[in-house]
Amino acid sequence: MERAEAGATEVTRSSPRRLVLAGAVLAVLVAVPVVLGAYPVTTMTRMLAFAVLVLSVDLLTGVAGLPTLGQAAYFGAGAYTAVLVGLHLTSDAMAQVAAGLVAGLVAAAATGWVAVRARGIVFLMLTLAIGESVHQVADTWSAVGGSNGLAGMPPISLFGSPLLASGFVYWWVLAVAIAVFAGVALVVRSPYGRTLRGVRDNEARMRALGYRPALARYGVFCLAGAVAGAGGALWVAQARFVSPGDLGFEVAALALLSVVIGGAGSLWGPCLGAALVLLVRDNLSASIGGHGPLVLGLVFVAVVFLMPRGLAGAGRGKGPRRGRGKGRGKERPS
Amino acid sequence: MTPLLELRGLTRAYGSLTAVDHVDLAVLPGERHALIGPNGAGKSTLFATVAGTLPATGGNVVFDGHDVTALAESERARRGLLRTYQHSSLFLDCSVLDNVALAVQRVHRVAHRFDRAARRFRRTEAEACRHLESVGLAGRAGDRASALSHGERRQLEVAMVLAAQPSLVMFDEPTAGMSAAETERFAELVERLPDDLTLLIVEHDLDVVFRLADRVTVLHLGRVLATGTPQEIQADDEVRRAYLGSARAEELFTGGL
Ligand SMILES: Nc1ncnc2c1ncn2[C@@H]1O[C@H](COP(=O)(O)OP(=O)(O)OP(=O)(O)O)[C@@H](O)[C@H]1O
Ligand SMILES: [Mg+2]
Repeated sequence: MERAEAGATEVTRSSPRRLVLAGAVLAVLVAVPVVLGAYPVTTMTRMLAFAVLVLSVDLLTGVAGLPTLGQAAYFGAGAYTAVLVGLHLTSDAMAQVAAGLVAGLVAAAATGWVAVRARGIVFLMLTLAIGESVHQVADTWSAVGGSNGLAGMPPISLFGSPLLASGFVYWWVLAVAIAVFAGVALVVRSPYGRTLRGVRDNEARMRALGYRPALARYGVFCLAGAVAGAGGALWVAQARFVSPGDLGFEVAALALLSVVIGGAGSLWGPCLGAALVLLVRDNLSASIGGHGPLVLGLVFVAVVFLMPRGLAGAGRGKGPRRGRGKGRGKERPS
Repeated sequence: MTPLLELRGLTRAYGSLTAVDHVDLAVLPGERHALIGPNGAGKSTLFATVAGTLPATGGNVVFDGHDVTALAESERARRGLLRTYQHSSLFLDCSVLDNVALAVQRVHRVAHRFDRAARRFRRTEAEACRHLESVGLAGRAGDRASALSHGERRQLEVAMVLAAQPSLVMFDEPTAGMSAAETERFAELVERLPDDLTLLIVEHDLDVVFRLADRVTVLHLGRVLATGTPQEIQADDEVRRAYLGSARAEELFTGGL
């Protein structure tokens, strides 16, 4: 559901056209390993895992109004945990995702309380600091391989049988990504999602209605940490390797960029943005002489100027333009 | 009868300006109490201090037998002490229904649930719709709040605060910006409210004040000038002298607003 229409739930929920479109997209995604070769399939597996990270950023940025640069830390916590579980405990894919999810949740719960007391640029800087600190720890702590990271994780298995073909890993990652997408969509539509939009729109009024905005923000911060952790576990399910680079500033910035390109608050827009961003960084960058970051920068500028509401906003046609002004909390009469 | 709300020497200063100056006020349960006074008298500041939006610089707020002076605004709201704003304060990017449902779902203790879509919480949705209906906004439930006219926003503000199940509501100039028809609807709504709901109303429309209020308090330069029945206030010499000179009371209260 888009931020643009997040409020108007009644009017927009599951129109037949949207259902058909969603079904078609799903069918195409499921058919990918049948049609494409191993290399594009692994590329798309990575996109799906990255899209899960982007969903967690979107939950904070688009739904709760908290732009963040810290989600890569929880993504990394999930990734490292999943690799450690894979190396030392079990190759079971479900156990790894569950462990990654819990690791992201716990890491976010442990670090989030300070961050959620702030908002806006201060929140952004605090999350950046969290991300950099965690990156620093991963880079220097020898128990998790230091700057070399952790390699040699055995292939994941489901119900006892290892998933050796890239197509099976893809399907597993797709299944979890869809489940996460559905879960986030449910949060957005739930009473809690409404609470988050209220905090985003007018925190002072929420307090006057008896809410504790910091508590609501803490909850969504933990949820987003869990989602990012699951994303990290999916990332290593395919890579079978994790290094400090997977949780660095670049990953956090690209995730936020994907949300902006896709349209904050929409769920499918940022997923599309995630695919686009990884495509440019990993696949096109070589063919355009290593100018991937430059292209991404130009895309970013173009989106901000041409499609202020991102891909989701552009796909929506001429919807009502939303006021993006700051301090919308206090509306003065004429 | 013990008062529901009691202010004891309540003071609020902005730097050297004392906007609320040692105000003593008692509002009885079920009372409809009007607060009037010229621009800058400190009415809105008094509301903000009682609600907890602004900390008091002196004195006490006693609500329902408890001293709430040190409590946070959200905690006072949870105890049933609610207020509206002179300048509408809404959730403009949310739907009209969401605005009211936010108030209801907190009271129903489902504000942090995410196991089902909001519309599946039937009791909450129905209650929110009922409140929208009571202010004539049922047809706009799905619209975004920012699409409402000024008068409709005032109505939504009223629905929101009543949906939060208050035991005392402070209305800050509720009818400012409403059309005559909307003002009439508001007055009727207030008259239909349950008798045990206590109201404190800042209002410049004296017709509304004298129609709704059991008692009136006049505030002037942050101090209480007089408290009494509408008849007593209209006849009060000190009230007249303090602001009016020889002018009529109506002109004083409505002038400049
Ligand atoms: N944030 C503020 N900082 C400094 N002074 C303020 C502030 N808000 C209000 N004041 C001053 O405090 C006094 C009381 O203001 P307040 O808004 O409470 O009056 P009011 O009775 O509500 O007036 P009105 O009828 O215009 O709404 C005024 O002199 C005003 O200028
Ligand atoms: Mg005022």
